[in-house]
Amino acid sequence: MNIKKILTGSFSLILIVTSVTSCENDLPTNFPFTAYEFSDLDMDGGNWQPILFASGSRIVIDAPSAVNSSEYQTELAALKSASQNLSGSQVNAVDYWTNNPAIRWNEIALELAAKYNLIPPPNPDGTYTLPTPANPQGPPLFPFAHPPYTSRMLAYLSVAQFDGLIAAWYYKYEYNRPAPYVTDNSISYAYKKNALPSYPSEGAVIAIASRDILKAMFPLEHDYINAKAEEHLNSLMWSGSNTTSDIEAGKAIGTAVKTAALARASTDKMSAAQAPKPVSDAIKKSAFDRFGWAWDNMESPVRPVGLTPLFGQVTMWNVTNILDVRPVPPPAPGSVEFERDAEELKGFAKSVTDKQRKIANWWSDGLGTYTPPGHWNRRTKEYIIKYEMNPLRTARTFAYLNMAIMDAGIACWDAKYYYHFPRPIQTINGFKTIIGTPNFPSYTSGHSAFSGAAAEVVAYIFPAEAQVARDWALEAAESRIYAGIHYRFDSEVGIEQGKKVAKYTIDKAKLDGAD
Amino acid sequence: MKKYLLSAITVLSLGALSPLVAQTPSDAIMMKKNEACFALIYDQGKWDQYWEGTTLITNENIGTFTRSTYAVMVAYGITDKLNVLLTTPYVKTKSSGGQLAGVQGFQDINIGVKYEVIKKDFGKHRVSSLAVAQFGTPMTNYLSDYMPYSLGLGTQELTGRVIGQYEFNKMIYVRASAAYLWRGQTEVERPYYYANGSYYTTFMDVPNAVNYQAIVGGWALKHSLRVEATYVVLNSVSGDDIRTWNMGQPTNKMESTQAGFFAQYYFKDIKPLKGFSLMAAYSQVLEGRNVGKSTNVSGGVTYQFTF
Repeated sequence: MNIKKILTGSFSLILIVTSVTSCENDLPTNFPFTAYEFSDLDMDGGNWQPILFASGSRIVIDAPSAVNSSEYQTELAALKSASQNLSGSQVNAVDYWTNNPAIRWNEIALELAAKYNLIPPPNPDGTYTLPTPANPQGPPLFPFAHPPYTSRMLAYLSVAQFDGLIAAWYYKYEYNRPAPYVTDNSISYAYKKNALPSYPSEGAVIAIASRDILKAMFPLEHDYINAKAEEHLNSLMWSGSNTTSDIEAGKAIGTAVKTAALARASTDKMSAAQAPKPVSDAIKKSAFDRFGWAWDNMESPVRPVGLTPLFGQVTMWNVTNILDVRPVPPPAPGSVEFERDAEELKGFAKSVTDKQRKIANWWSDGLGTYTPPGHWNRRTKEYIIKYEMNPLRTARTFAYLNMAIMDAGIACWDAKYYYHFPRPIQTINGFKTIIGTPNFPSYTSGHSAFSGAAAEVVAYIFPAEAQVARDWALEAAESRIYAGIHYRFDSEVGIEQGKKVAKYTIDKAKLDGAD
Repeated sequence: MKKYLLSAITVLSLGALSPLVAQTPSDAIMMKKNEACFALIYDQGKWDQYWEGTTLITNENIGTFTRSTYAVMVAYGITDKLNVLLTTPYVKTKSSGGQLAGVQGFQDINIGVKYEVIKKDFGKHRVSSLAVAQFGTPMTNYLSDYMPYSLGLGTQELTGRVIGQYEFNKMIYVRASAAYLWRGQTEVERPYYYANGSYYTTFMDVPNAVNYQAIVGGWALKHSLRVEATYVVLNSVSGDDIRTWNMGQPTNKMESTQAGFFAQYYFKDIKPLKGFSLMAAYSQVLEGRNVGKSTNVSGGVTYQFTF
């Protein structure tokens, strides 16, 4: 055999392998951004109106020791040593957390949502076991981080971060301790320098508030979350950002805000949202008596109770009377209006275009993903970075976004179980879909309500992006129709409902002193 | 006359959760120069249980899953020692339970070259060894991220295979082959997915895989009938598991071990049918991970001629 032939053959093989593998991109596991210069420091941010506290000054933080005190000089020396000669993993941690670490905690929250967004499977005897915080290991695992759960988790996370940073800003400008590198110019700072006072550490507020809210929401992830928080707190020194007393003061604020947030969470009626079967059956019966229709779970074996029938009774953030945001009834099955939208669904089931299929999948945000609330947090995060927001304004953005999203979810769930409207797979014989139909009634569409609300908050905070955000919301609403899991009226009314709910949150935001 | 056998049929039948992966003919027979062989193959794989990770489960929302594959194969002898092979499967999927829509369409086009490295006779015995390289790429923009219904993995794939065969008395033979499958990325339609962590991209890495085959075969009826017992392993070398009651995705670590039978009858002595053969195969997935416990039945016809 000819050596040349073998060589040529091997060479071509290598070329093809290279071409198969060279089109492989490195796949991003978080949003690629680095520390940036803040567009504004919001020096008056300490006077903004918090959500859970009367004012930022309600959390009491003692004055720090003077910059020329021996105590502080010792701290500076420790910081100088901690920020020198960093190991590779320490440098990576500094780069990862950046000077806007709320972004990273939001990503961690989204990842945990995706990890726990798994529906309980049936037992071998056809029954289902519900996840319970009393036995988080299960099986099934607790929590099932479905869209209502995730919307609530993100709301408490963001509200605690926001309130904590208002308090931090208050004391930053009350006590005006300069950044360590200002007092001691031999200390190097890893991020973009600015005039923000360093006491208390905003990073420590975010680390502790985020750690403790997420631990409450994901009881099986304590080790993971603790490790993240520890790395984050350490990075505050590795990066030359804060001395020990800056960090301790920040931790105290973090603890105060998480305590207030979790106190609210313990009484917001979420623990009763997954109603027992008799309650669920009674809700279904009253809907049937009232309207003559009722939604059935179509899975096999049948799930005895839909997802969180009483999420509609969970305490809202900014809407006082849920009846103000309950939509008009949907068209009755068999009515002309209903049949028109059912026919449309049959048309998509028969021939969905590639573009429509892509839209359906792009916004599917179903089981195993970060859910529709997570999707909007991700998009909002990208705008926060684009507009170079400081940590306080970042937290404010997420707080109003997630309060509006959770309120929209509550309003939507109220409608879902009040109207108890059947899904397309129930009303249209033999109907098939291209994404899975969720375990709750059809009207209104959850993704539409979440998206309608989220887009309004994005439009309020980033006016230049208003059109894009609203178009996304409409696309998300439309995606459910292409997928076959919602009628057009579910989506259209859902968008309007979301917008209406968001107005309450935006009206409140307009008065908090930040505009 | 030189016979041509498409034991690819056993590979085609790997269906189940794993799509068609290696249409490379993995036998030891070559087309002579200017000889061509056409094959039409139908394969049907059915399962009503699948492995969620390593746990075998049933899911009534899928019920019985059926994957039907119609494949056209062409083989041509450039020289006695160098053949080219082409395969294009058309796939159709459906399930008896649940409300998710099945799909159908052309899957991947696969082009391969097969080179006979060694062929040596020792009296009535023969040793042969071959090398095969094959490249596959999606023919349509089917959605790979729609498991188990998706038509395929939606990625480019390069297979390198070596084959060795020993034939006793020109009656009984044993054959083994080993292949490595380099797979690229597949583009999906969602901007985020979870695979033991977050991925902020529409691209998924499809794990590379190894494929081993062991075959014992024999000739009967004056070399008109050939029968084989087959044992095929196809394992991803990395990847994540399907999570609880969740859909699979192309990033999964798919593994299957399959045993089966294969038979092919050549119409050598029946004049009008000369050049034709019929084949049939049956196989069963015995062990798996993130794939269906599929039972496959296949049938096909081949026609061989010289230009």
